[in-house]
Amino acid sequence: MAVFMDLNLMFSADRTRISKLLETAAHLGFSTVAINYMFEPTLPLQEIPVPKPINELIDQLPVVQGRSRPIRVLNRLTVVVSDPSHYRPNAPEYRRFDLLAVQPTSEKLFHAACMLYDIDIICISVTEKLPFFFKRAPINGAIDRGVMFEVSYSAAIRDSTMRRYTIANAASLTDSCKGKNVILSSAAEKALELRGPYDITNLGLLFGLSDGDAKEAVSSTCRAALLHAETRKTASGIVYTARSQQEAPSDPPEGQFWCRSELSIRVSDKNVTSTCAGDTPAAKRVKTT
Amino acid sequence: CAAMMQGQTSDWKIAGPCTFHRVVLKNASPHHYMKVHLELEDNSNRLSAVELKHFIIAGLKNLHGEVGAALNFDVLKYDEGSLTALLRVHSSGLVKLWSSLTLLGSYQNQSCAFRVLQVSPFLLALTGNSRELQLH
Repeated sequence: MAVFMDLNLMFSADRTRISKLLETAAHLGFSTVAINYMFEPTLPLQEIPVPKPINELIDQLPVVQGRSRPIRVLNRLTVVVSDPSHYRPNAPEYRRFDLLAVQPTSEKLFHAACMLYDIDIICISVTEKLPFFFKRAPINGAIDRGVMFEVSYSAAIRDSTMRRYTIANAASLTDSCKGKNVILSSAAEKALELRGPYDITNLGLLFGLSDGDAKEAVSSTCRAALLHAETRKTASGIVYTARSQQEAPSDPPEGQFWCRSELSIRVSDKNVTSTCAGDTPAAKRVKTT
Repeated sequence: CAAMMQGQTSDWKIAGPCTFHRVVLKNASPHHYMKVHLELEDNSNRLSAVELKHFIIAGLKNLHGEVGAALNFDVLKYDEGSLTALLRVHSSGLVKLWSSLTLLGSYQNQSCAFRVLQVSPFLLALTGNSRELQLH
């Protein structure tokens, strides 16, 4: 089973707030979180932020509930694009981040983000009525390229008007993409705005996702986004190896069990969607570009 | 079981096999039980069971309207000290109740959060929590 992830915790300069957020996320059962740096080029005097090293934000990473290992923290950049010049392909500043997301504000930019931009996540606005309709063609293009759509829910907790917009926008998204490639994340600024993974799964049902898609929206789809982010840094794809142990036949020679370890190789390719599954045999998923 | 206890002292073959009850539900169980904990920003604030139920109904009405507010659910048990409650709800209304708990964000102008600790169709399952086991 894939582990739970929350790919959007808002960055704030306040150290105690960040450490409280990370502790709460670990306590709720999230194994991986991403700290999100917003970048809005329209605001004056804005520069692309530089991610802070994790050890400057928190002294010791908290242990995830139910698994005795510390939480994994990533950095993510979200660019609010309202003009085609705001997204700069191959900008060296983008390389410092593990994940790259954009939030398009017009239909044209949404189309470009789905079809052209080398990004991992497209944020769906949840604080305003959608300025455009989701069209099938760009959404199918994004699904083919492995780009994810993200809906964040903390605005819905803060305000009842935002709640209406969140539900309406999320429902229209799930209508057009049929529940595929949807990520649910928090965008929380305070620890009390975080919710547990199973709560979010249940909330996904409200957004029109199916049971399975809702659970994947906090687990394996997020993993697919991370793998997609890794392919961005390489030429064409990445290879994952995992050790699988097999038990010997029931009657071992010296009254002992012996283990045979073998390597199963999982290949995820830039042009293959949902590399997350991990269940399909590797051979099936390798595709020549 | 008693037969086995006796069997241990004398002979195993004399004692009958341990009786084992298997319960099979042919239909989906009618109710679901939830154990929830209310986390408040200001810990000094205490609320009574009546206030808690009123708060949850207000949340249901906010999200699902009058139809949601008409949803039948019970507060079976509530501990004021730890702000932990046991709720019972018809299985058909579980998603509505749970989602309204998730989206409840403020109580009397201070932020709060409902932490859903356990959900089960069996009340007995809420007696213990496997995540709090201390394994050595």
